[in-house]
Parts: sequence; structure tokens; C-alpha cells
Amino acid sequence: MRFQKAVITAAGPDQRALPLQTLVDRDGQEKSVLCILIEQALAAKVEEVCVVVWPGDESRYLQAAGSYAGMVRFLSQPQPLGYGHALYCAHDFVGSDPFLHMVGDHLYVSAGKPSAAQVVEIAQAEECPVSGVQATRESLLAQYGAVAGHRLPGRHSLYRVDTVIEKPTPTEAEQRLAVSGIRAGYYLCFFGIHALTPTVMELLGKALAVAPSKAVTLSSVLAELARREQYLAVENTGRRYNLGSRYGLLTSQLALALNGRDRTEVLAQLVELLADREMAAGQKE
Amino acid sequence: MSRLIEIITSDDPLIRDRSLDAVCQELTIQQLRAECDDLDRFRRTSSNLYERVRALFFLYAIHRFHIPLRDRGAAPAAIPFAGYTHLLKRRYEEAIDIFLAAQASLGAGAAISSALAAAYRGLGFQTLAGQVRHSVRSVRGNQWMFRTGHPEDYPLRLRRELLQVEGGMFPVLRESTPVRMDLTHSGWSDIFFLGMDFPEGARVVNISVDLAVRAGAGENGPKPPVEAYLRVIDQPVLRLVSVDLGATAEISTIDEVFDFARDYLSLLKAAVIASGLVPPGMEGAVQPLAQILERLTGARGLGIEIVSKVNGIPKGSRLAVSTTLLGSLISACMRATGQIHSLEGGLQEDERRLVAARAILGEWLGGSGGGWQDSGGVWPGIKLIHGVAAAEGDPEFGVSRGCLLPRHRIFDRDEISSETRDLLQSSLVLVHGGMAQDVGPILEMVTERYLLRSEKEWTARREAMALLDEVIEELRAGDVRAIGGSTDRNFSGPIQTIIPWAANLYTATLIESVRAEMGEDFWGFWMLGGMSGGGMGFLFDPRRKPEALVRLQHIMTATKKRMEHAVPFAMEPVVYDFAINESGTVAALLRGPDALLPAEYYTLAVPPLVRTEARLLSPSRRAELDRFAAACRERSEFSGMVQQMFDHLLPRSGDQQTGAGQTLAALLEAYGFDATQHRQIQADLRSGRIGLAQNRLPASTDITDVHQGDAIDAVHGLPGRYREIGLEALRSGSVAVLTLAGGTGSRWTKGAGVVKALNPFCRLGGRHRSFLEVHLAKSRRTSELAGAAVPHVFTTSYLTHDAIAEHLRDRENYGYPGAVLLSPGRSIGLRMIPMERDLRFAWEEMPQQLLDEQAQKVRESLHQTLIQWARQAGEGSDYTDNLPLQCLHPVGHWYEVANLLRNGTLARLMESSRHLRYLLVHNIDTAGAAIDPELLGYHIDEGAGLTAEVIARHLEDRGGGLARVNGRLRLVEGMALPHEEVESQLSYYNSATYWVDVDKLLAVAGLTREDLGRADKVMEQTRRLAARMPSYITLKDVKKRWGKGQEDVFPVAQFEKLWGDMTSLSGLECRYLVVPRVRGQQLKEPSQLDAWLRDGSAAEIERLCGWR
Repeated sequence: MRFQKAVITAAGPDQRALPLQTLVDRDGQEKSVLCILIEQALAAKVEEVCVVVWPGDESRYLQAAGSYAGMVRFLSQPQPLGYGHALYCAHDFVGSDPFLHMVGDHLYVSAGKPSAAQVVEIAQAEECPVSGVQATRESLLAQYGAVAGHRLPGRHSLYRVDTVIEKPTPTEAEQRLAVSGIRAGYYLCFFGIHALTPTVMELLGKALAVAPSKAVTLSSVLAELARREQYLAVENTGRRYNLGSRYGLLTSQLALALNGRDRTEVLAQLVELLADREMAAGQKE
Repeated sequence: MSRLIEIITSDDPLIRDRSLDAVCQELTIQQLRAECDDLDRFRRTSSNLYERVRALFFLYAIHRFHIPLRDRGAAPAAIPFAGYTHLLKRRYEEAIDIFLAAQASLGAGAAISSALAAAYRGLGFQTLAGQVRHSVRSVRGNQWMFRTGHPEDYPLRLRRELLQVEGGMFPVLRESTPVRMDLTHSGWSDIFFLGMDFPEGARVVNISVDLAVRAGAGENGPKPPVEAYLRVIDQPVLRLVSVDLGATAEISTIDEVFDFARDYLSLLKAAVIASGLVPPGMEGAVQPLAQILERLTGARGLGIEIVSKVNGIPKGSRLAVSTTLLGSLISACMRATGQIHSLEGGLQEDERRLVAARAILGEWLGGSGGGWQDSGGVWPGIKLIHGVAAAEGDPEFGVSRGCLLPRHRIFDRDEISSETRDLLQSSLVLVHGGMAQDVGPILEMVTERYLLRSEKEWTARREAMALLDEVIEELRAGDVRAIGGSTDRNFSGPIQTIIPWAANLYTATLIESVRAEMGEDFWGFWMLGGMSGGGMGFLFDPRRKPEALVRLQHIMTATKKRMEHAVPFAMEPVVYDFAINESGTVAALLRGPDALLPAEYYTLAVPPLVRTEARLLSPSRRAELDRFAAACRERSEFSGMVQQMFDHLLPRSGDQQTGAGQTLAALLEAYGFDATQHRQIQADLRSGRIGLAQNRLPASTDITDVHQGDAIDAVHGLPGRYREIGLEALRSGSVAVLTLAGGTGSRWTKGAGVVKALNPFCRLGGRHRSFLEVHLAKSRRTSELAGAAVPHVFTTSYLTHDAIAEHLRDRENYGYPGAVLLSPGRSIGLRMIPMERDLRFAWEEMPQQLLDEQAQKVRESLHQTLIQWARQAGEGSDYTDNLPLQCLHPVGHWYEVANLLRNGTLARLMESSRHLRYLLVHNIDTAGAAIDPELLGYHIDEGAGLTAEVIARHLEDRGGGLARVNGRLRLVEGMALPHEEVESQLSYYNSATYWVDVDKLLAVAGLTREDLGRADKVMEQTRRLAARMPSYITLKDVKKRWGKGQEDVFPVAQFEKLWGDMTSLSGLECRYLVVPRVRGQQLKEPSQLDAWLRDGSAAEIERLCGWR
């Protein structure tokens, strides 16, 4: 199983502008979020990238893709029918191949191997779909899909997924998503990176055919996938940053900077900022 | 191996279910004590919770019922005060250690056993309650709520549908829930402890029903009686409204959500917390509630409104209305926050279970507790609810045999046909008899009996289990008549065998009357819930049901009228219309023009809005008012609202009246209220000259226990000559009985204001008897023994006189052969709003029994509310905001004896019994007090003016006793003791029974027999004597009834003078006799009755009685 294709979804009405933002990457270069995501996909040895966008956003995204514009295909989601439908818009692009999927409103920062590459490598080695997950506090459950599963014997961070629930309440999470070895009040929530098989597209298609006007979630389809075949989750060591949350862009930028070339410079500026503030406060007193 | 430990640990049901009593009867006192040692060691080391609990209850029962019976002659022993203090603080382990050490050093005896019994029992229930609480918290789906302690961690989000404004208004989520009716009762097997220890025996058949109070033709039919409403509001507060209680609160702090007793909204608050809307882990958080609301709604400036409504169903219906309301509110809140998937319609099984688990949590939070079947209304139709054995993976596994939550199996129509359901509906008449009683003590009794496997009760439990199978078979066969037979047998057999107190005279009279009227067409009685008298069912031939509906209302009303002085009723009896609900709890989202709250809500909400300028109203409030105005014109359920609102805007005022139409002022006038004295007391109270702290003797007073020979032991019998002297006095007609019957038993009915003398408190001699009847029966027996009728006088007060006179007249003095006289009260007091310092003294400085953790929080919150009430109402001012009779108070039993002189009763008595010289004076609730010739002979022979009877102190005997006060032997009131621990050092407790030499009493008052005809002199001399008696300020609970069976209890201040203080008078020679406990014990609270019946006291008293 080789992952040569990647699908990035960026059509959500509230998130469509996020991948177009410019940040300074770890290497000190200014790049759009889209570029950073594409580079992470390429690091996972992907060769073709498809970005699903809001109708009419293609040209802006093309511009944001910069030097990668030539290898990226843009598809639009004609109607805002939800996340599952957005992904399904890439079904022709995917065809019968496995594919890497990343969401466009998150950034991933890891100290070692990029998260996307980790997920793809495991999927290739295990020959099954794999999702990146991270132990997440229950107060954030309303933002993510979450999985329940069992740790694979001898594999520290790999889980066989039993079920998936989209944005569970803590009540439901406690009843259905408790995983041994994970601290109380934490659940394995999606990281936003999935290495998926074409079966997922097939299941998405079926679900959308049953209820064409209803928003189909990827989580419900992955829950079905877990019932049908081996589906794994890997606990990621990196961090994900939600660009759409309050101060999301700022936090993401700081995370990149503090993990990159300009770490000392940024830290010095932060310290200066704090010191100025404290001194000003001291003078007032 | 210890025989009792073997019973506890055995897996063999034949051994495990052996009766403790049966085994103990075979053991000697030494063997019993050895068993106690073994059991105490065992319970300290056993790792199994239920083994420990059973050992604790065995220890309790041995110390409470077996050792005292074998150990009657033991010398009194002081109960260490330190142990008593630990008991009050619920530190039972420490108390047990102290009592055991005292037992080892001072020797065993009934007194120390009474302390050990209380400590073991307390620890047993504490352990069980702790386990249930732990299980509730451990239920998956509940745990997160205890972890969430900061608004930043708050995880719930409101469903978007509730935020979508339509026509200017947010939509309203309405949850409608039926109540549950328990068809089989099954011996209270739905108590959590039972289900968790004996899951195979915990089963009930439970029916969800719609209800309406029957009001006549043309009224609305039955519907789900419980409704909960939830909506978003454009104000960052949590607004809670109880339509039925007329209470509203806008809450803006987290603290206030957890303040349960602050208002009438505790149930709504418990639902808000148990549903996770404001999770229990947030208690004590200081952040504004708006932060949580912002995270919940996703927007600043928005809040939530929750409204509860019970369709006119009164309290005490035995239909689990409050648990159902809790469940309904929780379900609505959980739907709104996505914890339940469907926003509308019914629930899935796992969701129902979750709601039930949360309702249990809510009940614990509110400091109350129900059974596990009480959320039954959340499920549809008819179902079998049964206990489940704990299996691996359950949090209870390895701890208890059963799980906390039962399983529900819904019967489908193949099993119980539609015809059977119809027949059941057309046969059953469901009523509320008007009594609303606390079933808490009954549930404790059931648990106790179960753990002890008392033979009779255990057999009855098995019969009840068989009856359940019988009822299920009858339901399958569609034989409703047979069901009536089964429920009737259940009530008259197993239920009353397990708990005799489940029945009462009122219910028995109703059943008797119905049977007499309807004959064979009355198919049977059906008891609902914890005890009878409130919600009850009567099954009839369907052809007679229309008639039965009318007749039952009539019978209940007439019976209540006859008994209302004797039995605490909370409301007028009602008959319900009902229908089986086949849906369970159901929700609907009301949008746009339909997004209105129930009509009654607007009678509360609109008047304040009308007073607000329109420009200050929020847009959604304005839209709502427009819509409401339109609804008043267009919708039938809103018709008449304008009038109702107008009434609400201009509430009617006026003096409250008694049933007979008398105002408070008229009553005060009629009963000779001394306004001057009252004003003086009021001024003294306000200035701090009198009060609870001032009741005490000076701290320097030297109070010690009695010396050898101070009190004569009559427990082991007195010399034979005394009996002869006593008999001779009886034969010569020189003795009369004076029963003090002026009281209303404020502890007996928690301030309900019934005549305690007439309360049919227990079945004796085959039927329920009142205290009055019991005392007359003892006098009859004495008269037979002496061959001369003993005159019997009952002192009365303004509260009791008419009722007692009528009662005796109707029953022709129970055929008593001698004179029966009433001595009416001549003194009356007006209750006062208590002083804050007295409330604080009573609650903060006097030793108080701590309650379970959560219940204690509720109580402390209530205390703060009541202190606030006292401040607002005016400390020390007249208490007039209640029925007039509840505002007055008798002024203590000292006056009841003095009144005998003042009102001429003593003079009349002496005229008719010229040789009369001695009086036996006793309280109405001293059930064992009677003329014992031996004791009388002693009194006569000693030539004393007054002989007081005392009993060896047990743990529960608080309130003073016999002491040497500054060297002088006398009775001292508990209120007068300068330190609490002094009481623990006093060996004898005052039984409040006295032998009085009339002439010597008169002499102390400066009177002679001849003076009795001179009213002025008698009045003057008794007033002088009164001035020598101390006055005590006391706090008494008084109930104020309102709404539909609702009751508030207020502490009010009053004063009293007590007869025991006569022993402090110089010039009155006193003697003291130690009498058996059964003779001297006073029955102050109904919770004493069970042990009184079980320890043989009742049987001994029955032997003293000669029934008509």
C-alpha cells in the first residue's frame, strides 16, 4: 500500500480563509498555511495533492500554493453539505488509491518526524487505514471526533479502533470512549491527519446517497469502517493547533517559531515584551 | 467459629438467612457478649462491605434488643460524654471505641449497650449510604461531572437548534413525563441497599401513568403530570421557575446554584447540577456563572431558563412525583446539551438508564432519597424492574452482590394485552388520602429488618416475592379482580408484617367503609409507595367505578373530618383520573408562535414585566409578551389568564381564620391571653434578659450525680407492705389519675398541630388505639383490681379541649366506669419570631446531630435562610403569619396542674371523691404510666408531698434528670444545665411521672382544701407560686401549610414553666423512685415506636390495659 495522494479540506464556511494566512515557518521562511501543509504531505512521500475549496476560492488558493501550484489540484465543494461531503468531492481524484487526508484549519508541529509522515508510514506498514489521534481533555471534546479502542499488544502508541464518535459529550465519552492507559478525563481525539483507504470514499458515497441533504460526518463513516475492517489509530507525539480558535493563528505562529530556527530571537522578544509590561505596571504603582 | 459470623459469611441461603433473633434467644448473656466481641473484631477486619454492614446491624440489634432484656437489673452507668459527642458528629468508629472502653472498665449494662447500639446502627447506615454514594459517582457518564471544577474546563455546548431565533423568540424545549405507580409493592425492595445485597429479591411491577386531579365533568383529562421546560434567554443568568410553588430565581453565581434551602427551587437546582449543566465539581468555584453560560451557549449575554410544572398533583402522592420531576428536568437539560441524542421524542434504553442514574445523583445532592423504581415514569407502559447481580466490569463488582441500577423489562402487548390494560384502568380508583408523611424512617426500618432476617419479616418478604409472581401471572391472564385480591392480601399480610406502621387508622377506616358500601364489587386495596394515607388505589368492578369515584371522595372527606384533630393531614383528600402512559418521557421543541411556556408561568412572570418600562424589556421578552397576548385571545389553555394575572397583581389580604372562622384576636380574647405578661416577656426576650442561654443555671452551680440511697430502686420490687397500703388507698377512693393532655406533640408530628392524646399511634389489643384510650384502659384495669373506680382527669388546652371533649363524648368515655373529667387550660401564650442569637445558640452552640454530608449542607443552608427570615420578620415580634391556632402555644405543663386548682376541677373532684388525697400526674406520652399500688404505697408511707419517678438513663434520654444541685437533691431540666456534659454524668432521667399529695401541694401554694372554692385566692396564690418557678424560652417547630400539600417548618420562640421544677421548692418534701424503663419511657417521636414495639414494651403495656 503506497500513499501517493493527499486531500486537504478547506471548504468550511468558517475556515476557508485560514489556509491562506501567512506565517513564518520553522525554517524562517514566510509561507502560507497551505504551503506548510503541502510540505508536510510531501514529507510523507505524497506526490499529488488535492485541496477542496469553497466555490470561487480556487484562484486565491492557487496563489497561496506558491511554488507548489503546479502539483496541486483544486476542487470546489458546490454546496456546504458538511465535512464528509467535502472530502467526498475528492473521490474522483482519489480513485482506487489510498490517500492521506489533512484538515486545512489545523497546523501540526512535532519535534521529530512530521506527523503526516508518521501516520502514513504506519498505514503502509500495517496495510490498513490509520488516523492520528491525541489524548485530549474532555473540555475540548466538542471540537473533535474521538475514538475508542484497545492498545495493540507490544505497540506503545498504536490502537485498534472499535468505534468513532463525532464531537461526543463527556457523558457519552465516559460511557463509550474510555481507553485503558489514558488518564481519566482524556480521550483519543482526531489529530486531523488520516491515512485512509478507498473504502472510506465508498462508505462516504453510500452515506451521502442515503441522506443527500444531511451533513455526513467523517467520524460516522470511520465508525462504520472500524466495524468492517482493521482500522488503527496512532497517538501522535506532535501538537496540533486549531487555527480557527481564538488566538489560534498567534499560538500556531509561536509554536512554529519556538520549534524553529528563530527560537532565540522570538523568545527574546517575548521576554522583552513581558519585561516592558511589568516595568510599566511597576511605574504606575 | 462464632455462630453469628457463620451466618454472615455463609454462601448457603439456609444459614445466611437465619434469623438473628432466633439464634440470640438460644444464647446466654455471656455467650451474647462473647458473640459481640467476635462480631466487633470481625467487622473491623472483613474486607467485604456487606459483611461488615451485617455485622454492624447484628451488633446493634444485640445491644438494643437482646442485652437489655437479659440485663434489666444492672446498675446505671454513665455514658461517656466524649462518645456521645462523637455520635453527634457522626464519628461512629471513635464513639464505639470509647463506649467499648467504658464497658470494659465500668462493666456492661443496658445504658452502655444503648450507646453502643446507636453507634453501631449509625455506622451501619453510614457505610451503606457511603457505598450508594460511591456507586452513584462511579456510574460511567457521571464521573466527569465531579472532575470539572473550572469554567475553562466546562465541556458542554448547547444544541444549535435551541439558539435559532424564530419570530424574535428562542424555541422552547418541553419534556413531558408520566409518574410511576407501583403495582406490587414487594416489601420496599426498591431500596438501594436491598437491591445491592439481594438483587434476586428486588423486583417490582411498575406502571407509568398520566394523571389529573378529578374536578368534575368537562375538565381536562389525564396527561403526563410532570413537565419541564428549557429555553435560551437573552440575559446571562440561570433563571429557575417553579410554576406550582410560585417561585422564581435569577441566579448569577455558582454558589447560589448549590444553595439548596435558599428558596423553593432545590429540585430544579439539583437537576441543573445532576444534568451537568453546572456540574457538581463546580461547587465552591468563585467564577461568575456567566462564564459557564458563555461556554454553554457559545455567546456572551445569553442564559438559560428552566421551568417546572406538576399538573396539580399534591405532595405525598406516593407516585414519586419529585423524582419524576427531577428525571424530567434532567432529561430536558441532557437533551439540550447533546448528552441525549434526540432533541425530540422518546428516549433510548441507555439514555433512560442515564437519566435514572442522574436522578439518583440529584436526589443525593438535594439531601433526599427515593427508591430505584422512582424514575419508572421515564420508561413507557408496564414494566418489571428488577435487581441485577454485579458482574465483572461493573463498579459494584467485588463490593456488593448487586448493581446500583436495576434493569427494566417492558411488557409488550403480547404479554399483557390491551384489554387487560383497559380493564385495569376502568377498575382502579386512584386517590390521595390527604396525609403526607416522611417515609424516611420506614425505609431505615425495612433495611434493618432485612439485614437481621427477623423471622416473621423474612417470611413476609418471601410471601411478597411470591405475590409479585402472582400479580404478573394475573396480568398475563387479564384477571384484574384477582390482582385486587393479591394487592389487598399484600397490604394486609406481608407489608404490615414487615412494617406495621405502613398502615394507620385512617386507611383502615377507609378500607372498612369502602368494603361496607361496595361489598363484593370492591376487589381490593392497593398500597402505593412507602406508607398508606397519601396515594392509594382501590380496585372495583368496572361497572361500579363511576359510583366509586364519587363515593370515595365523600368517604375520604368525611373520615378526614372525623380524624383531623388526631391525625396529621396535609391537605384535603382528592381522587385522580388516570391513564396508563405507553410512551414514557417525551420531548417536543416548540418554535415560533408556539414557543410559549405554560400558561401559569405567565401569571408569575408577567406582573413584574408589566411594571417595567417597555423600552427596558429585551427584544425576546417583548416578542414573547406579544405572542402571549395573542395566545390569551386565541388559545383555550390561555383563557382566563388576564383575570388570574390581575389577581396576582393585587393579592387579596385579610386575617387568617381557623376552621371555625375565628381570628387570632378573637382566640386570644376567648382564652384569656395575658397581654401585659406577653409584652413583658417580649421585652425581656428582645433585651436579652431571657433566652436559650439564659435558661441555664449559673456556670458556678455545682451539679453532681445522686448519692447512694437518693433514689429508691423499685425496678426489683418494693417491700410487700407498700402494695397493701396502695391497694387500701385505691379501695378507699383516695387516688385519681391526672393525664397532661394539653399538648399538640410538636415533635410527634413536627409541628403539625394535632391533639397528641387522640393520635391513634399503635395497634394494641387488635386495633389502633390513641394515647387517651390506652391511659383509660390502664385505669380501668386498676379500678377492676381495686374494686373501686379511679377518677381520671385529662388536662386540656385551648388546642386540645374541644377535640378531646368531643372524642370522649362520641365514645362515651370508652365505657369507663369511673369519673372522667376534663380540666381546661386557663393560660395561653402567643408565639414569637425567634431571636437570631437564640437560633444561633440552638444550632451553633448546642450539640447537634450532624446529618449525612449533603443533607447537612442543605440543613445549614436552611438555617441561614431561617435566620434571615427571623431578621426580616422582626426578632421577638408576634408570630401571626399562620393559622391562628398555630400562632398560640400552651405555656408548659406546670400550668396544667395549676389550672386544676384555678378552673375548679380539683374542687369538683374532691366533692365527688371526698377521700381523694393522692394524684398520679403523668404526661400523655408516658404510655406505661399507671397506678401501681406498690409505688403508691411507698409514696403514702413516706408522707412525701411529691414522689417523682425516674429511670436509668439510656443514650437517647436527653433533657435533664435527677441531680444534686448545690448539694440539694432535685430534678433539673436539660435546658437549665450549664454544660452539656453534666447530663452524661446523671444516672437517672426524669420520666415526668409524679405522685402528689394534694394537701401538701395546696400547702406549698398557701392554700387549703377549703380555699378551693375561693377563686380569687386560688388565682392569687397560684400566681405567687408561678412566680417562684423559672420560665424557659424554647424553640418549637411549627408547620405552615400552603399550596397543594406543601409545608414549611418555622422555629418559633415561646415560654414555658415545667412541673419538675417543683422539686426545687423548699417546703415540698420530695422522694424519688427508680422505675422500670417500660413504665417511664416517654414516646416523643414516632421513630421510637418501632423499637418500643420490638423490645416488648408495647406488649407489657398491653398487659396493663383493660380494653372495653
